[in-house]
Amino acid sequence: MSTHRLRFTLNGTPRELEIAADRLLIDVIRDDCGATGTKLGCGVGICGTCSVLVDGELVSACLVPAVFVDGRSLTTVEGLAQDGELTPLQDAFIRDGGFQCGICTPGQLIAATALLREHPRPDGREIRDWMMGNLCRCTGYYGIERGPGGGAVGGGLGGSAPQVCRELRLSRAALAGRRARSSHAVR
Amino acid sequence: MAGGTATVLLMRQGLLRPAHVVSLRTIDGLSGIARTPQGGLRIGAMATHRAVERSDAARGYSPALVDAFASVATVRIRNQATVGGNLAHADPAQDPPPMLAALNATITVRSPRGERTEAVETLAVDHFTTSLSHDEVITSVLLPPILPGTREVYLKFLPQTADDYATVSVAATLRFADDATVADVRIVLGAVGPTTIRAKRVEDALRGARPTPERIRDAAALVRDEVDPLDDLRGSADYKREMARVWTERALAALTR
Amino acid sequence: MKFTHTATVAASRDRVWAKLMDIPAAARCVPGVASVRAAGSDKYLGTLAVQVGPVRLVLDGDLVVTARDEKAGTASVKADAKDSRVGGAIRATMALHLSEKEDETELRIATDLAVMGRIGEFGQAVIKRKADQLMQDFADCLARQVMR
Repeated sequence: MSTHRLRFTLNGTPRELEIAADRLLIDVIRDDCGATGTKLGCGVGICGTCSVLVDGELVSACLVPAVFVDGRSLTTVEGLAQDGELTPLQDAFIRDGGFQCGICTPGQLIAATALLREHPRPDGREIRDWMMGNLCRCTGYYGIERGPGGGAVGGGLGGSAPQVCRELRLSRAALAGRRARSSHAVR
Repeated sequence: MAGGTATVLLMRQGLLRPAHVVSLRTIDGLSGIARTPQGGLRIGAMATHRAVERSDAARGYSPALVDAFASVATVRIRNQATVGGNLAHADPAQDPPPMLAALNATITVRSPRGERTEAVETLAVDHFTTSLSHDEVITSVLLPPILPGTREVYLKFLPQTADDYATVSVAATLRFADDATVADVRIVLGAVGPTTIRAKRVEDALRGARPTPERIRDAAALVRDEVDPLDDLRGSADYKREMARVWTERALAALTR
Repeated sequence: MKFTHTATVAASRDRVWAKLMDIPAAARCVPGVASVRAAGSDKYLGTLAVQVGPVRLVLDGDLVVTARDEKAGTASVKADAKDSRVGGAIRATMALHLSEKEDETELRIATDLAVMGRIGEFGQAVIKRKADQLMQDFADCLARQVMR
């Protein structure tokens, strides 16, 4: 098996590793870099537990060959808080009950961080469309959905978050889509 | 390997055991998305689904095309999976191929023997099987200019979760003639056969006539004999056959409102 | 999973039966079959190569004729094969039935296919369609062989 020398940054710190070509990013993050905050869930890219950011883009670490991270910047959950200061998003998760067992939480935080970079003030629909790929067995999602709403406003149950919650009195099945996607373009 | 989503899964499952894997990631010039001078759209084979989703050029060409790409799985998959990889994988349940076929897309393929083109519609010949030779690589997808007066739609029916493949999907384009009859119509269905299914009998029943609700209903019913679905967890073959009819009718209704 | 295939041959039942019971020759009618050899009475060894997209299976195994009744025109066959590299196996039991109608013979094959291990990862839809193709190709090829 051939090996590759990877040079990348992990949460801002330059790293250099020699790894076998067939390694996956999730295993290199956890085993070689010791950053076990990122969890392995389904292993097939569905559950979102292993979500990480590569050059700011949200991906499933279980599907990314580790060699793809060469020359790029990798962000995991350990890289969110700066100098011990939690982000407003992380505060919101704690305050609003966004986690219970915690296994999906790193993935939820990474996904929500990416959401807020793309949509700094996401509405309910944007939150749902983005976050629907991160599964949670414990919370029923209400607390998780509040997170980006609360995090976006920068602290406190501010802005439209309570409003969004009231509108989201739906089961997960309904959230996920007993409706079809459609697009309609008329020239 | 393009984006790697399908290849990594196949290797993890132990179904694919290659002696060598060559990544296409570092080849320049394969990721662009731009309008052509004639008004069409060219998408590099290594462009990600997400790049198409966010591309102003793609949206200006056809919002329905952007929707088909945006319908795929989750943001994470769309950030990694590529347009060319999607076509080469030839999973009949994928979202982009029916819309690309309905828009008359062609691919450019390169090999040691040179370049050739092929219609997206005929690329997949069976489940997970394309007409590509082992030494051919898709380099780009070309969509022709859309004629004025054309409407497009992509409908995806998923009874379960929003990140899933479709039970049935319908991609359709329709252009009216000056006399309000149907000058041209293309209907391509996904997830109801070993490849995407072009509903030619439905199209023939509509061309040259005014698309009244009755005519649409009768034409859509013909799709039941054109699809070839199998039982699986997204529905029984009978259910999918009936849903193909329902969603073909809805697509045509959307195009003729 | 179960499926049935039929083929009509413009030949007498006796001729079709003779062709069918020449197992090595008949087996070559299955696309991808290679190196069929006898290994005892009514038992044969061989390999079957199957390709689905980029994935190639090489199934190594045996085929046993478990019953035959020339008068009734029926036979039963059991095949077991595995792909050790991929890590999966198949077992197929086939019930063959020949019925004569005027100058033609109808060959009906009812197959019960079990898929084990990694091969199951393909999913039922793909496996069924592949098996479908193989069995129909077999039946059509056999019909052509008899006509020669």
